[in-house]
Amino acid sequence: MSETTGPRMLEASGLRSGYHGVTVLKDIDLDVGNEVFTVLGANGAGKTTLLATLARLVPLTSGSIVFRGDNVSAIPAFETAARGMGYVPQERGVFPELTVLENLNVGGMIGERSPEERMREVFDLFPDLEALQGQMAGTLSGGESRMVACGRALMQDPALLLLDEPTAGLSPLYVDMFFEKIQEIHQDKGVSIILAEQNATKALEVADRVMVLSLGESFAVKDAAELTTDQLKEGYRI
Amino acid sequence: MNLDWLDAFLISGLFSVVVIVGLGLLLHLQLGLTRIANFGVVGFFGIGMYSFGVLFTKVDWPFGDFWAFLISLAFGTFVAGLSGLLVGWLIADLDEDGVLVGTLGFATAVAILATTEDGLTGGARGLGGLRFPYDVGSVKADEFLWLIIVSIVVALILLYVWWVHRTPYGRLLIGIGGNEPLARSLGKPAFRAKLWLFAVGSAGMGLLGALFGVMERFLAPENLGIDVTLAAMVALVIGGTARAWGAVIGGFLVIGFFDIIVQSYLPFPREWYGQAIPNIKQIVFGAVLITVLLFRPLGILGDMRRDKLMRRVHGG
Ligand SMILES: Nc1ncnc2c1ncn2[C@@H]1O[C@H](COP(=O)(O)OP(=O)(O)O)[C@@H](O)[C@H]1O
Ligand SMILES: [Mg+2]
Repeated sequence: MSETTGPRMLEASGLRSGYHGVTVLKDIDLDVGNEVFTVLGANGAGKTTLLATLARLVPLTSGSIVFRGDNVSAIPAFETAARGMGYVPQERGVFPELTVLENLNVGGMIGERSPEERMREVFDLFPDLEALQGQMAGTLSGGESRMVACGRALMQDPALLLLDEPTAGLSPLYVDMFFEKIQEIHQDKGVSIILAEQNATKALEVADRVMVLSLGESFAVKDAAELTTDQLKEGYRI
Repeated sequence: MNLDWLDAFLISGLFSVVVIVGLGLLLHLQLGLTRIANFGVVGFFGIGMYSFGVLFTKVDWPFGDFWAFLISLAFGTFVAGLSGLLVGWLIADLDEDGVLVGTLGFATAVAILATTEDGLTGGARGLGGLRFPYDVGSVKADEFLWLIIVSIVVALILLYVWWVHRTPYGRLLIGIGGNEPLARSLGKPAFRAKLWLFAVGSAGMGLLGALFGVMERFLAPENLGIDVTLAAMVALVIGGTARAWGAVIGGFLVIGFFDIIVQSYLPFPREWYGQAIPNIKQIVFGAVLITVLLFRPLGILGDMRRDKLMRRVHGG
């Protein structure tokens, strides 16, 4: 599963971060290889904070993040994307005043492969987007804008994709579709994924390993198959 | 050239309009597309004006006026661009309050430096000795020609703004304006776009400052008041912040009204023009700005939304 040689995709140790002096994450250790790594946790557990901290959008108060062998703890957010970290936020994942096509193109400004080639791949993954390409992103439905956000991040040719609750609030049809796509992105494109989810059942189906986050602390890190219902319940208790 | 038909006040009124339109166009890229409220417009304007003026008047140029003038102009533009790069770098990661304080502080610092560095700038007494790089016979003709030259420069700025609207760079600017945190997670392009925006915008503002200084013939710290920034902002918000034409329309309406109509064609008592009218103008600008930003953030005439524009462009 994750017996890669060379540096791990992402190693974080002793992560602490939060907002305005309030500590949300308390000493999180993380070690992600070429896998789908799922972060589970109740509302407010700190999943969004964790992903945003990894993307360097929330400042660290202590700890370190090593991304593909390089210590990125001190570099600004605008550096991580160029190094191969794609981030899809939980909310507001699109540029509302740009069309779908323009949104995707903005992602394509990073990386070496031709944007046309990458755009083709994104349209193959999300065929709906091709028909919507001229539409203003601010006018899309929830599911559609998640697809745009995800496609935009893929246009960056990321090695690691941070997905923050990509299916929250979507209809069951979209939810199933999204989890299929997540597997496809990992298996066919070889992109490592850190997926934050509240929906444990679905998330465990696609995950290799899972971390249960509870009130900003890592409650358990397990192979997805080994996580018991009791552990999950315990972790979700607030 | 017989210019009897042309009123001297009209030249200076139109000149103010054109300069403010130019500043408004550059501000449109920052405020209209990228939603960065640059309250330091006059700082960049001033740094270009003084860098140009000091170099032009204080150096013993070994060659003719014309080349000395062009080199000094390029220098003023360059220094303003450089200061824009620095300010842009400082504020790139700040929120709206930080940008406000940073840019306003910069403009204040420039005005203070212009006053205190009196060895270079002449301080509060001002710096004289600026002149047109040509002489076509009369003061009026010289000024008229300068108005035309500066109008051409502003037309080029309008073309640049138009071009930006059509490039990936322009779309990135709109993206940053619509969703700043997302843009930051996109990395370097967003950061670079902001730096470039400030460098080019400030260079343009500096160039306009230098051109303005030539028309004034005399540089004084009074030229560096916040009213310049406010005028550009008011022109932009009146005309509509989201489209390129906004600043042009707003500039003619607002500055045209005060600096041409009120100045020359309304029968106010003469003594009002010294104190009362400039003060009223400032109050009106402030009030307009607050009202528009509160109730019509896209500008008074600015309801031509971008999706309509896109439909027109793509014919959908
Ligand atoms: N921008 C913010 N400012 C202050 N506190 C925040 C902010 N965002 C989240 N928090 C707090 O941080 C904690 C974790 O939130 P979050 O990371 O969003 O959890 P989750 O994504 O697991 O629902 C919550 O207590 C929340 O109130
Ligand atoms: Mg969340």
